[in-house]
Amino acid sequence: MSLKLVLFMSLGAILLILLATYFLRKGRIPEKYALLWYVFALIILLFSVFPNVFYSLAKAFGFVIPSNMLMLALIAILFLLVMALTIMMAGQKKKSILLIQELSLQKLELDRIKRGNK
Amino acid sequence: MKKVLIVIPAYNEEKNILRVYNSIMDYNKKNKTNYDVIVINDCSTDGTSEVCHKNDIPVVDLIHNLGIGGAVQTGYKYACYHDYDVAVQFDGDGQHDIRYVKDIVNPILEAKADMVIGSRFVEEKSTFKSTKARRVGIKIISAFMKFVTHKKIYDVTSGFRAINKEIIYDFALSYPNEYPEPITTAEILKKKYRVNEVAVEMKERIGGVSSIRAWKSAYYMMNVCLALLIIKTRRYKRCR
Repeated sequence: MSLKLVLFMSLGAILLILLATYFLRKGRIPEKYALLWYVFALIILLFSVFPNVFYSLAKAFGFVIPSNMLMLALIAILFLLVMALTIMMAGQKKKSILLIQELSLQKLELDRIKRGNK
Repeated sequence: MKKVLIVIPAYNEEKNILRVYNSIMDYNKKNKTNYDVIVINDCSTDGTSEVCHKNDIPVVDLIHNLGIGGAVQTGYKYACYHDYDVAVQFDGDGQHDIRYVKDIVNPILEAKADMVIGSRFVEEKSTFKSTKARRVGIKIISAFMKFVTHKKIYDVTSGFRAINKEIIYDFALSYPNEYPEPITTAEILKKKYRVNEVAVEMKERIGGVSSIRAWKSAYYMMNVCLALLIIKTRRYKRCR
């Protein structure tokens, strides 16, 4: 790997760490998600500083071109992430439906009590 | 005296809702029945809510739009809280006819069935049978339903149904938000409840737009068939 690429990847990893820390400090993401981004950043950092680890790993898995392994791994990780988000979103939707229904029903009952007391 | 509730989900039905409500009240007077009504206003953007409040129609105003499944389920929750014995799902657009409510309610009052579906496709009573493409879609879903539950249901998408107390509780706890009719029918059959289908007449909608638009029919069918296949792979606790 060229020095340029090493610098570029390390910079990206550091940016990721800073970004995750920023959102964590602002209270916008929970710790467990920040941790996930830290792990990602550390892996990228590891590969950029010790590219030989990366090359031998790719060889061990039978990749002809090492960068293909990176691509595949990234796509797989993103895929799983999107799936996890879909599941979370469905759960959130269920909760909000429940809240909307209960609140709307309670509003009707409250209205009836108010009118009954007049 | 058994308590019967008619649940009317309504989304932008300001032109229809009063007429539908009055038809039920007239029917109650003429036939000495006492069907109660609850309108579920699914956060309409027109004057549905105002029309209801002005005319003293019992209405739950959902504070956010939920879609058909969430709206109907709200009605079942209401039925649950107020201890109703039978709940009838009835469209707010004038498609369904109050005269047939007794046909779908009576088998439940007589404890001959747990759920009764008002069907356009048995006995050929109804002149309105929807478009050809949609009929083909219904036939395919019906075939899937037979495959999954081993029972032939002809009008799988009918939104004109009555359920007993046990199923009211079941639906209050969980009800799908999308494609609720065929999915819940399959689940109810899987739980070994008794489902009947009786002939009813349906009219072409007078105002408003169907929640299933023509170009959406194929997409709707695919989703329902997938849902039915998944139901086939699940195990359900026998309830009867």
